[in-house]
Amino acid sequence: MDTMKDFKNAFSYGERNNLNFKFLAHLSEKEAAGFIETSFQLMEDGLNGRFPGRLIEHITQGQKKVYSVPGKFTYETGIFHALGKKVSEATIGLCTSSGHFVKGNDPKPFGVEGMTQTEAVYRIQEFLRETPQLSTIPKSVEMKNLQVRHGGYDISGTEIDGNITFPLEPLVCLEKERHIGKLADKLYSFVGACAQGALKKVVKDDWINIIKAQGIEGMILVPV
Amino acid sequence: MSVGHLARILEGEGIATVVIATEVFEKRLTSMTLPRLLLTPYPMGRPLGFPRQENEHKLILMQALKLLEGSKGLTVHYWKKQSGNMSSAESKEILVE
Repeated sequence: MDTMKDFKNAFSYGERNNLNFKFLAHLSEKEAAGFIETSFQLMEDGLNGRFPGRLIEHITQGQKKVYSVPGKFTYETGIFHALGKKVSEATIGLCTSSGHFVKGNDPKPFGVEGMTQTEAVYRIQEFLRETPQLSTIPKSVEMKNLQVRHGGYDISGTEIDGNITFPLEPLVCLEKERHIGKLADKLYSFVGACAQGALKKVVKDDWINIIKAQGIEGMILVPV
Repeated sequence: MSVGHLARILEGEGIATVVIATEVFEKRLTSMTLPRLLLTPYPMGRPLGFPRQENEHKLILMQALKLLEGSKGLTVHYWKKQSGNMSSAESKEILVE
């Protein structure tokens, strides 16, 4: 039989892997037990048709607790560039770290074509040491022709509706309604679980030129 | 945080940015002093909300575009009151720099 420690840790890339609850591994045994107990109470409310949003809020706050410390990269000062015009007159781009790509244009991580999500999860430590690859996604593509693979988060929601991490359809709609001057013809995605130093280098050396060639003046960025 | 690095480099290259992220990453992202940050009340992997909530996705993007157009750095909390029917939306602005 598992100890409480074994049980909670198994949700983070272990035998009970569930990326929605991988944060349990970073809680103490007492904290994890408290989280689970409260979850059952909130599920009971849900069974009685009461406060369905509270369980979701509880899960979100559990995740937030683990990430409520500054990361490895902290900066005292910000960099700010004003758009200098109305969004309705500007060219707007989209780049997400969700791991989307067009079907048939697999970025082939580690040379593997058609890598499954399960394998990506299994190889997450290798991804974290790897230079990310930028996938170019035409704005004319249909959502059904996009694929997602990312070993760092639960992709079940984005498999149902990719717009929750790669909001292509609402942006096309906002362009049609003229809230956006022009949505860039090419949009971008990459796997955010990657080597951070290598990421900064490849953005400065390579990605920035690709993005500038699109005439993008404002960029919407979406981490997962 | 990959997107934080990307935001800072793009701003330095003359491209304005706005980040839409779940509030789970609030501390990580605010500690990177990003110019414009819209935080949503959803769990990891769902920064624009739940699947097939088209109106919600659009509302969040509209708020992000409003931030993008602004002339100062802001972190904005976008959330819906957990009032049972989750029908009322509010936002709160916090000056970053």
